[in-house]
Amino acid sequence: MTETSITLTLNGKKKTLRVRPNELLLNVLRDRLFLTGAKYGCGIGECGACTVLIDGRPALACLTLAVAIDGKEVVTVEGLARGDELDPLQEAFLDHGAVQCGFCTPGMIMTARSLLDENPSPSEEEVREYIRGNICRCTGYTSIVSAILSCAQEKEGA
Amino acid sequence: METRQFEVAGRRARRKDGIAKVTGREIYSSDVYLPGMMHAVVLRSPHPHAEIVDVDVSEAERMGAVCLTPFDVPDTVYNERTVSIPEKTYRDRTVLPKKVRHVGEAVLAVAHDTEELAMLALSKVKVQYKELPSALDVKDAMVEARGARLYDTVFLGGECIQVKNNIACERSIAVGDVEDGFRQADITVESEFEAQRMYHAQMETKAAVCAPEPDGGITVWTTTQTIHNVRQLLGQIFSLPLHKVNVKRIALGGAFGSSIQMNSITPICVGLALRAKRPVKLVTSREEDMYDHVKYPVRFWLKFGAKKDGRLVAAHMKALVDIGAHNIQAYPLLGCIAGWFASLYKFQNLLFEGRAVYTNKVPACAMQGYGNPQTNFAVESLMDMLAEELGIDPIQLRLMNYVGVGDEFWGQGPTVRSIIKSCGVEEMLSRGAAMIGWDRRVHPSQKSGDVVRGIGVARGFHTSGTGGPKPGEVIDYSSATIKVNEDGSVDLITPVMDQGGGTWEAAAKVVAEVLKVPLDMVGISPSDTRTTGYDVCTHATRGVYCGVGAVHHVAEQVRQKILEFAARILEQNPRDLSLARNEEIGQAVIYPTGLPDRYITLGEVAKTAQIKSWGTIAATDSYRQKNCPPCFVTHFVEVEVEKRTGRVRIVRAALLGDCGTPINPDMVKGQLIGGLCRGLAFALLEETAYDSNTGRLVCGGYLTDYKLPTACEMPAIDDIMVGFANTYEPSGPLGAKGIGEAALNSAASAIVNAIYNATGIRFKKLPVTPERVLEALREGVAR
Repeated sequence: MTETSITLTLNGKKKTLRVRPNELLLNVLRDRLFLTGAKYGCGIGECGACTVLIDGRPALACLTLAVAIDGKEVVTVEGLARGDELDPLQEAFLDHGAVQCGFCTPGMIMTARSLLDENPSPSEEEVREYIRGNICRCTGYTSIVSAILSCAQEKEGA
Repeated sequence: METRQFEVAGRRARRKDGIAKVTGREIYSSDVYLPGMMHAVVLRSPHPHAEIVDVDVSEAERMGAVCLTPFDVPDTVYNERTVSIPEKTYRDRTVLPKKVRHVGEAVLAVAHDTEELAMLALSKVKVQYKELPSALDVKDAMVEARGARLYDTVFLGGECIQVKNNIACERSIAVGDVEDGFRQADITVESEFEAQRMYHAQMETKAAVCAPEPDGGITVWTTTQTIHNVRQLLGQIFSLPLHKVNVKRIALGGAFGSSIQMNSITPICVGLALRAKRPVKLVTSREEDMYDHVKYPVRFWLKFGAKKDGRLVAAHMKALVDIGAHNIQAYPLLGCIAGWFASLYKFQNLLFEGRAVYTNKVPACAMQGYGNPQTNFAVESLMDMLAEELGIDPIQLRLMNYVGVGDEFWGQGPTVRSIIKSCGVEEMLSRGAAMIGWDRRVHPSQKSGDVVRGIGVARGFHTSGTGGPKPGEVIDYSSATIKVNEDGSVDLITPVMDQGGGTWEAAAKVVAEVLKVPLDMVGISPSDTRTTGYDVCTHATRGVYCGVGAVHHVAEQVRQKILEFAARILEQNPRDLSLARNEEIGQAVIYPTGLPDRYITLGEVAKTAQIKSWGTIAATDSYRQKNCPPCFVTHFVEVEVEKRTGRVRIVRAALLGDCGTPINPDMVKGQLIGGLCRGLAFALLEETAYDSNTGRLVCGGYLTDYKLPTACEMPAIDDIMVGFANTYEPSGPLGAKGIGEAALNSAASAIVNAIYNATGIRFKKLPVTPERVLEALREGVAR
């Protein structure tokens, strides 16, 4: 299959890649760039474990063709921290016991990041509604919702 | 009761693997990439029961693929779960079968340079099947005349045994004289109950990576709860000496029992890698994973006999288990069901009759609780029915009959028993009742309107490990290595797996507590089967009690060595020295007791020992727990039932856990809340139903159609109350017992009891879906 050249901003850096038309973003990230934070949980957009941000919006990397991200900005969980400084959501997930097996965590954090960027002080119900496409089998979600809300409150107070 | 103050245990701390997990840098099996690695895909059976007459992989091989067929694999017949002793282990499977016994069973596998090429090659493979009569219903399966015969013979230990009427195994267990017990009874209640085939839905689908080594050995990264059992099975199947089979301990994206055994794909991946002489990765799709394992579904018939005052005098349980296509230790399961039943209440006279039956469905295996949530659902439902018959408050009836301190507990069926030394049952029932507002609870007949609420209670437990004074049918011990580095930091090397619940964190905290080292100075080393002693498996809620029990045992030895070396330096008797934590220096310090100013640091001791060639301060040992203390739980749940839609919502819950010392309190809380969520799934939502013609899953392997709970199904943060019983387990590390499986075990029972309190309808079949609620309400109205 013919390869196409795409240029994107990935975690803040310009990158040019040659991709095949049927290649999925998730496979490009994981198999070619070894950014394994985005996880394969279902491959068909049911679990949210592969969530990344494309132009600031949450997207399922398992359903996104790599050719479709030409010219776009992609942020994966690996690009969320600024140097050694974790994103407040990452800190909050650690402090609220929101991480158990950790497999849903990268996707969950990316979805939450998008929520807080869109709506800096969501209600508990809004948080639950926003992350309902991200499945967690371990926590029962309570600690995750608490972690997200703790960041919202901090923003409000700032 | 003994209570103790700890400096590290019982306090919240950020988990050590947390940074890697929130930054996406944690490595799970599917994240392992090796140079020259091939990707494998599996061809799975479209038929529920068929002989494989012929396979043709020639075209795939011409495309450059490496193939593994049923005709290429070793003929070793094994059981993938090896935590029971060999003579009680049934064996019925090979790496790939010459006869498929359920839709989705692996037929053959193909590896190529990329996943895409592997899939293209797989599409060129031809398989000729001869379809056989299949049994999809457990009762039909036992009727010889229907013609489905899954196995003629299987192995039990070293013996080849006949299989009749597809009955995999049976167990009958009696205590006292049940007939006499029922004769003494003033009142009897009996009912049937049915718990469904639920899917584990761990977030990480099963995966394996295998690298063939130059010496003919293999290195394996795979989703498992037991690296050592995987190692031994792979060595046995592929005739490799164990020193050439290295299984790496690696992060696991949840398990809930689904990886208690060696996953079926692991030896397939190894077989391909050995053929290809290249590393191979095999990651299952979600659909394949759903066709790999489910929870044991059980049909119960249960009868209780009691005196008028509420004292139980007899109980009789029959359990019929639909195990699917393979016997992954249904025999110990039946024993465990008997134990979970026998240890809930003092029935005095008891009879258990269990039967496990093969069907042409996905094989059932352990899932959080190993038969306990199913059993608890039957027993705790019937306890509520008995309470109503007797006119006794359900809490009161439970308090009158529970098994507690000084009583015998069956930790793993009839052969693993120990005496209970710590118990928070009374405390949890009374605290939980206050938390939920039990005194507000009124009889369903006093409720009206389209939306009704109800409150339910259920209590449960799980074992902490499978140790008893005498070793039983289940193997249980663990190992650990601890060494002190020359700067006073400590390396902990453990074979124990952590499914995410925080077992490693508890291990590090116990080391920090015993050696008085700051928690930051304890490192959890990467480990594998080559560098560690044996640990049986992180199952049976044994991670903290047994796995960390071994860590505690070894830490005490290291503590002695520290004091011995420090004594040489300080020219004192070791007994006259104190070991203490000094947060300011960031180290443990040792000083003559009463003279804290004359301290030397742990780092100085270790460095001196190194310079003077005394040796490394280290110890390694194995340790077996000789008890199996129950970790008790109590669930109080308030539900809201919408009569127009049949929808049941959990509005409030009080979750109480008795884990002895909660070494990781935030993680214990996380276990309890996670348990509520999976209990909600078990009670209300999830089931793998089958098409009765094709033998396929009705949900088709889709998570959405399977209906997992999302964040929206759980009660609000403030509506979930969590409490820990104030207990201390004298036989546990720092007073700890387990919690993991217990957290689930009575959740669904409490939900179903709450639905009864809301509607007056007793649901005896799970899940209680809106359809079933509406149907029951319609029948109720008609009556």
